[in-house]
Amino acid sequence: MTGEDIFLDETIHQPARLRVMTMLVAQPEDGRLAYGFIQKTLGLTGGNLTTHLRKLEDAGYLVISKEFINSKPRTWVQATAEGRIAFTVYLSNLEKALNWPPST
Amino acid sequence: MQRTEFTPEEGWRNIHTTLAQAQSSLYLAGTEYILLLWGALVSVSLFTIFAIAELAPGFASDYQWYLGPLWGVFVATGMVGSALIGRHASSRNADHATARKAGLRVFAFWIAVTAAAFLIPGAAGLWSEGGAENIPHVAIGIVCLGYVLFGIMHRPALAVVGVGMAAAFYIPTYLGGDIGALGTGAGMLAVTVLGAVWIHRSGQP
Repeated sequence: MTGEDIFLDETIHQPARLRVMTMLVAQPEDGRLAYGFIQKTLGLTGGNLTTHLRKLEDAGYLVISKEFINSKPRTWVQATAEGRIAFTVYLSNLEKALNWPPST
Repeated sequence: MQRTEFTPEEGWRNIHTTLAQAQSSLYLAGTEYILLLWGALVSVSLFTIFAIAELAPGFASDYQWYLGPLWGVFVATGMVGSALIGRHASSRNADHATARKAGLRVFAFWIAVTAAAFLIPGAAGLWSEGGAENIPHVAIGIVCLGYVLFGIMHRPALAVVGVGMAAAFYIPTYLGGDIGALGTGAGMLAVTVLGAVWIHRSGQP
């Protein structure tokens, strides 16, 4: 294997998307985070965050749901099982990339 | 390995920074309202002490122990209120276990601060007729220390507010003579309102 063979999933390997996925997979499996909370924590604009969320959603890594709480709309974001697996694989490959070339 | 401008090292750093940031943000949920609650409670209690000293000086000097229960009620209200506000704010950011965990941690932090505010004056022998008037000096100092420590761990602005609260409390108390309690109450209210506005405007949850 060479360093060229280490695959970093491009859907995740982007600063904003990596941070979004990090926040989501740090939650319990049924844990959801509010859209506004992600936006404020990461300091992203609404448009920017929506674009990145859509890309992750299209890849099947997260689901976005809306509900009304006390008549107020709230958007929730949750990592899917597929997203968690993809993130685990990404982390494993990231570790390999960081340790490349392996010490003998 | 793919050639991107975003290096693996940057990715690794990003993950760690995000985890710390997200955790702090959850713990800080509702901080400005908790701060306002404590500021209002301390101010109201100090205005009450001032009013009793002015309107019923005999009672104030004959029953100095009344300060203990008075502060007990205010501190307990602050503790329960902080926990409820923290829980409510967390549930707006995350659901289920995450919100519960963050709420519990904030609650445990303030329980510890409150317990210290009660127990340390007791250990120092202030739960007595002669020492009761010094209980607020110790209790408020511990609450301010709570803010400073919480701020150092999660958000420096809170540490600055904690120092401001201490200054607003101690300076008028020691320099103000008879109207010390009034000046302290007004100062605490001003500092906590300004602090809450500052925290709210700085944008983080």
